[in-house]
Amino acid sequence: MDLIHPTDQAGVVEAMRAATTVGMRMRIVGGRQHMDTGATGEIGTELWTTALDRVVAYDPAEMLCVVEGGMRLGDLRALLADGGQEWPVDEAGSATVGGVIAADAALPRQLRVGCLRDTVVEMTFVTGDGRRIRSGARTVKNVTGYDLHRLLTGSLGTLGVITQIALKVRPLPKATRTLVTREGGIELASLLLDACPLPAAVVAEHDRVLVRLEGWPEEVAEQARLANEVAVLAEDDPAAWREPPFADATTVARAAVVPSRLAACVEGYERYRALLGVGYVWIPCDDEQALGQLRERAASLGGIAPVVRGPGGVGAADPVTVAIGGRLKAAFDPANILDPGRAWSA
Amino acid sequence: MVDLDRVRRDLEAVLGPAAVVDDPLERRLYARDASLVEGAAGLLVFPTSADEVAAAMRVAHDHGLPVVPRGSGTGLAGGATPLNDALVIVTTKMRRILDVRPQDRLAWVEPGVFNLDLANHLAPTGFTYAPDPSSQQVSSIGGNVNTNAGGPHCLAYGVTSAHVLALDVVLPDGTRVRIGAEGPAAPGYDLRGIVVGSEGTLGVVTAACVRLTPIAPAVRTMLLDFARVDDCAATVSSIVGRGVVPAALEMMDRGIVRAVEAFAHAGYPTDAAAVLLVEVDGLEAAVAAQAREVEAAAHDHGVGTVRVAADDIERALLWKGRKSAFGAIARIAPHYHLHDCVVPRTRLTDVLVGVYAIAQRHDLIVTNVFHAGDGNLHPLFSFDLSVPGTLERVLAAADEVVRLCVEAGGALSGEHGIGLEKRDFMPLVFTGEDLDAQACVRAAFDPDGRMNPHKVLPAGARCGDFAAAALARAGVLPEGTWI
Repeated sequence: MDLIHPTDQAGVVEAMRAATTVGMRMRIVGGRQHMDTGATGEIGTELWTTALDRVVAYDPAEMLCVVEGGMRLGDLRALLADGGQEWPVDEAGSATVGGVIAADAALPRQLRVGCLRDTVVEMTFVTGDGRRIRSGARTVKNVTGYDLHRLLTGSLGTLGVITQIALKVRPLPKATRTLVTREGGIELASLLLDACPLPAAVVAEHDRVLVRLEGWPEEVAEQARLANEVAVLAEDDPAAWREPPFADATTVARAAVVPSRLAACVEGYERYRALLGVGYVWIPCDDEQALGQLRERAASLGGIAPVVRGPGGVGAADPVTVAIGGRLKAAFDPANILDPGRAWSA
Repeated sequence: MVDLDRVRRDLEAVLGPAAVVDDPLERRLYARDASLVEGAAGLLVFPTSADEVAAAMRVAHDHGLPVVPRGSGTGLAGGATPLNDALVIVTTKMRRILDVRPQDRLAWVEPGVFNLDLANHLAPTGFTYAPDPSSQQVSSIGGNVNTNAGGPHCLAYGVTSAHVLALDVVLPDGTRVRIGAEGPAAPGYDLRGIVVGSEGTLGVVTAACVRLTPIAPAVRTMLLDFARVDDCAATVSSIVGRGVVPAALEMMDRGIVRAVEAFAHAGYPTDAAAVLLVEVDGLEAAVAAQAREVEAAAHDHGVGTVRVAADDIERALLWKGRKSAFGAIARIAPHYHLHDCVVPRTRLTDVLVGVYAIAQRHDLIVTNVFHAGDGNLHPLFSFDLSVPGTLERVLAAADEVVRLCVEAGGALSGEHGIGLEKRDFMPLVFTGEDLDAQACVRAAFDPDGRMNPHKVLPAGARCGDFAAAALARAGVLPEGTWI
C-alpha cells in the first residue's frame, strides 16, 4: 500500500490534483475508527489526515472551535476542557475530528446534545480533483447558500478530504452520573426513559440498562431520584456507556429505526445495545446470512442496518437518492478516485 | 417561447380549473414576498396534495417553464418573488397535520401548516416543534424548511435543520422522492441537509417529518435592563461563559423598547439603553441554578433591574413585547427594511455601534431587536418611501450593514436567507470556486435550472465540467469515471 501523509492543507490539494490526473484510487484515513463502514476491500493508496492537527481558532465565549480535520479527539477534548466546554462526540481519543464527521458518528447522548451533523457550522474540504472549497460560516446560525458541509458529513470520504472545520461546542455539564440496573431489556429501559426527565442517554442491553445523567447538580440528583422509583439502580463505571459495543464480534451492524420499533428490531437477538428515544441499535452478526436477516427486519420496520465493523457494506437506498448521489459524486470527484464503490447501492 | 394558454389548459386538465389562477390582480399579489423586491408572476396554482404538485411540476417540465414554490410569503429576502412570469406553486392549501407520533418523537405535516398551529396542536402531547420564527403565526412549515428558519429559541434548541428528519420532495421533472428518514440515520448522502435552507431552488417540499422536542417542565423568563449598550452585550458573553445556554437570549435597544412599550404595554423600562430578555428552561432544579447564574452575570455588568416573570401571564406579556416588535415599529414610520446578519457573539457591541453610525450617515431611524445569544442582528430601518430619494438611502445603508457584518467575521444571513436581496453579496463571503461547487449541488437536483431561477447564487456561478477538466490534464479518462 502507498501512503500520502500531507502536512498542510496545500499538500492535500497537491495530492488530490496529482491523484486525479493519473487516476490513482485513494482512501482517506483519519483515526481508523470507521474503516469498515461501507468499505469494499483494498484500495491501493491511503491519504492520512493526521498531520493536519492544528487549532485554528478557539474562543470559549463564541462557543465555536476551529480545528484541522486530522486533530485527534483526545487532543480536542483537552483543549476544550480548558475552556470549560466539550464537543459532545464520545468516540475514542484516537479518532480524528474529520473522521467522525465523515462517518457521521452516532452520539450516545443525542437526547441531550443533539446530532453530530448539527455541530458542524463551517467546513473546508478538498475535492477529488484538488479544488479547495469552503461552506458555512464561523457563526452559530447561518443561511448563506447551500450547506456543502452537510453533504460531506457522513460522506465516508467519497466526496473530498475534510481539512478544516468550525465546530459548535457546548459547556461541560456541571455534574454527571451513570446508573445501571440489574436487569435488562427494552421494556425496562422504556419505563426509565418515561420516568426520568431529560436524561442524556438510556442504553438498553439484554442484561442491563444504563442511564446517563448530566446537568446541574440539583437536576442530576432529581433525575436519579425519579429513575430510582422505577428500578433498582447502582452507580456504574462512568465510561461504560461510551465503550464501543461487542469488541469480540467480527461483524457489527448499527440498525436505525424509529424509537417505538426498537423492541421489534431486537426481538430474538441474544445481544444488542439500543439507544432509547433515538432508535440506534448495535447488533453483532455472525455471518452474511445473519446480516441479511437483520437488514430485512430493519427494512420491514422502515429502517436500515449498515455494518460498522466487519464486511457487509452499508446496504441499499432508493434509486432516486442514489442517482442524485451519483451526480454529486461526479461533480466533486470527477475521476472517481475517492474510495469508489464505498456507497449505497440502488 | 412558452405558450401560456397551453400551459394553463394542461394545468387545468390535471388540477381542475379552480386550482389554476391567471387573474391579473391575483398575479400582482403573488409578484412579491415580504421583501422590498417585486417580480412578475405567471400562472398561479394551488395544489391540495403531493400528487397535484407532481402533476403541476410535470406540466412545467414539459413546457420548460420556471417554477417558484411559495408558502405564506413572509420571506424577507425575495426568495419567493417570482421573476419572468414563472409558474408559482402556492402550498397554502396543503394544510393537514398528517400524523403525530409522540412515541417516535416525530410528526408528518404538509408544507402549508402554520408554524404556531403545529406547536399548538402538539402541546397536549407534552412535545413541541422547537423553531419559533417571529412570523410563526402566519409562516408555514414549508417556508420555514426552505429558509432554515430560526427564531428566539434556536439558541438552545438549534435551527430548523436540527428539527427536520425527512422530507417528501417533488423534483423539477415531477419525480417524487423521500429524503432523510424517520429513524436516526438515512441511506446515502444527507440530501435532507441540503434541501433544508435551499430557498425553493431544488424542488417542492410536499411533506415534512419534524422532530418533536419534549416541553421543558419548568421555565423562567427574565427582563434585565442596562444603562449602557456595551454592558448589555457583555452580559451575553458572560452568561455563556458561566456555562449557561439559555433557551432564548434576546436584546432590544432603546428605540425598539420605546416603540414596543407604547404598543404592547408590557412594562419594559423605556429609560434603559438596552434590555435583555432571557429565558432558561429545563427541570425546576436546573432552572433555578441557571437563573442564579444569569443574575450574577448581569450584576457583574451593572444591570439596573432584574424582573423575573412571576407567572405565565407575565411571561406571555414579556414575550408579547418581543414578538410584537415588528408591528410596533409601524408607529415610527410607514415603511421598514429589516436586516439579518450574524456576527461572532464577541463583536456585537462593535457592530451595533457601526450600525448606529450608518443610520446617522444616511439620515435613517434605526432600531435593533435581535437574537443576541446567536450573534444574529436585525437592524431595522424605518422610513417613509413617499419622500423622494429615500429608497436609495435605505439601499445604500443596507449595503454598508452587510459589509460591516462580513468584515466582523460574520455571515450574510442568519435566518432570512439570500434570495434576491443578498445574492450579489455572495462573492463577499465565498470564492468563485466555492460558488461553482454550490452550483453543482443545484445542478444535481435541477439540471435544467428551472427551480426558482436567479435566486441564491449570483450570475456566473456554474457547475463546470470537472470530468472534462480532469481528462484534459490526464489525457485519458480514468477507469470508472462518472459522466
